[in-house]
Amino acid sequence: MDKFILNILHRPEMVPEYAQNAAGKGDGGASESGIYKESLDIFKLQQQIAHENGFKTTIQMTYSSLFNDEAVSIAKEHHEKYGDEISLTLLGLPCKEFREKYKTHDFCIWMFSMDDKKAVVDDVFGKFHERFGFYPLSTGSYYMDADLIGYIKRQYPMVKCAVATCWEEGPKAYHTCNNSWYTFLDGGPWNPWIPSKQNTHAPAADENEDSGIVAVPHISRDLLACFDGNGSNFGTHPQNVLRGMIYKDGRFPYLYNLIDQYRSLKKYNRGYAYNMMFVGPGWMNKKGRWEAPYELLVKSYRDCMAYYAGLRDRGELQDMTMSEFADFYRSCHTYKQPECALWKDILYGSQKQLFWYADPYMRTCVDMNQGGAIVDLRPYAAKVRRPVGIGTGNVYDASYPFLIQSMYRAGYFTHYAGKGTIKSCKFTYKGEEADLCLCRTKAGFSEEEGCRILTLDPVEIELSGIKVKIQSVFTFKEGSSEIKITRRVLEMSDPLCEIGFDEYMTACYGTTEYPEDMNGIKLITRGEKTEEMVYAYRDREVCSANGTSAEAVITPVNTKASVLPGTRGCSSYAHEGYAFSPMFTLGLRGTLKNGGEVTSWLRLEKAD
Amino acid sequence: MAQAGKGRLNYRCPSCFMRDLDIDMFYDKEKKEYYCIRCPFTGTEEEVVKLNEMAKFRYKNISDRITDFD
Repeated sequence: MDKFILNILHRPEMVPEYAQNAAGKGDGGASESGIYKESLDIFKLQQQIAHENGFKTTIQMTYSSLFNDEAVSIAKEHHEKYGDEISLTLLGLPCKEFREKYKTHDFCIWMFSMDDKKAVVDDVFGKFHERFGFYPLSTGSYYMDADLIGYIKRQYPMVKCAVATCWEEGPKAYHTCNNSWYTFLDGGPWNPWIPSKQNTHAPAADENEDSGIVAVPHISRDLLACFDGNGSNFGTHPQNVLRGMIYKDGRFPYLYNLIDQYRSLKKYNRGYAYNMMFVGPGWMNKKGRWEAPYELLVKSYRDCMAYYAGLRDRGELQDMTMSEFADFYRSCHTYKQPECALWKDILYGSQKQLFWYADPYMRTCVDMNQGGAIVDLRPYAAKVRRPVGIGTGNVYDASYPFLIQSMYRAGYFTHYAGKGTIKSCKFTYKGEEADLCLCRTKAGFSEEEGCRILTLDPVEIELSGIKVKIQSVFTFKEGSSEIKITRRVLEMSDPLCEIGFDEYMTACYGTTEYPEDMNGIKLITRGEKTEEMVYAYRDREVCSANGTSAEAVITPVNTKASVLPGTRGCSSYAHEGYAFSPMFTLGLRGTLKNGGEVTSWLRLEKAD
Repeated sequence: MAQAGKGRLNYRCPSCFMRDLDIDMFYDKEKKEYYCIRCPFTGTEEEVVKLNEMAKFRYKNISDRITDFD
């Protein structure tokens, strides 16, 4: 396969979130009726730009637009004339009719109570059917929780595609928005996937887990910039790039670099790559958006669409509507097929490189700038059930929990004391220690016999007067729920030396920067003897000679994580943390000679 | 003095932007300056524009077209 697919979505939002807010504050903003007209004009302009460039779009009708005869008429006309898909979004709920009926200013569907979710869905889908005479094949929101998707599929089984998350839009977006934007949606895939019935973020492992839809992310985001920055600055959304001030003299090559890097992901995904563009009307309003004047907002939209059109004209892009894409995706993807991205920095000039991997068992990130340390780990194998919305006991937090998140819960670097979450390897010789986290390197990707292999360029460490060249290889076997990690000693300046290794993983659990209650986590080592302790912040360690595993059972996220050695002869250990370092560490210790290697596995399982 | 409003463009606070915070500034017509309601920043439009340019220092590739993704 050699395909780069583009989904273009537009929504006649009528009362965009931002415009409504501005008007409501009495700062001279337009009246609601004025906003209606301007929003519809923006939608028409977006449609016009797409059609001028020869693209068909997916028109996601909003609840408010279903009360507007002109918006309905435009959708019908464009469906007939251009082949646009008439779809239905659960964004854009705010309008007079909605507020009168539901008596609330809430507008994010995943935060409603389940009863209200059902009522809103039936209302919106019913109104759509009334206006168009059929039900939509696709839908979406910023996030679609598993219970919501389940309800929609039961009531409206024709729905096959949904915008279901915003990649890495969580605490970072909340902070960027002055702690007032409640999209806690971290931890999902960056590219389309088939959500499981249990948790939208975690892909389905088989037909039984299949939620029945193909999910697409809300825009395609920079896999490096968004990991440590505001997700709404770095995506295939031209005005987001302006928001990030990533332009000079009205030019924004970064946007094209981002699109092109997404195209390049074909190399890692059997010839398939994807992009999604979905700009709400609020981003092209006449008053401008922050520092960007209207003219620049529109120029960026036109330029981006023209760039996509150029790619299509050269045979390098194919546009699809959402439902077309869902059929295509299912025709060429198996459940267990992973999504891979070896991503490089295209903005900061750092040469940093991250490898992202997602399958039904895990999402993880390997940072080559830290010697191949694992800096993000989400245990999809656990399919953590996390109902979200009013009445669930969890109103806001739709993020999929991590075991490792080196930005939120420190990584290699901590202040003075304690540990941060990371998986790496330390080497020791005559009392000196070196961690691969401090060895910057690069990696290459290959695929062999059902395995995706990340081979890092060798790094050199210096320990007590000797130099050692070490290479790391990460192997992801499809469907295994494991990462195989090999550390090879390629050279030693003194070939007779023996160095110590400590293949370790420091982890915790959570969805934010703040620590969770670690009490009750079980830490177990197996080997000649089995040792076990229950987490109580007492800084203890258990160890088994001739270790066969070091395990943690983390009940709050229903996850069992194990570190397993490939050979006997090393010891397995588990270290509890303490109050100032609420983490645990699982590891394997042993020795290596020149030419030797150690292989270990990191395995993730459902705990119950 | 009357309450502050928005200026010609909806400038964000450049100081907060550099710490990943998007906060609209308000405009004091009497003093002819923008000010942030969260941090102590104040500045004229000219200063804000200059600082916004400075904030791009971290984007070393801002003007580069990249074609090699290996």
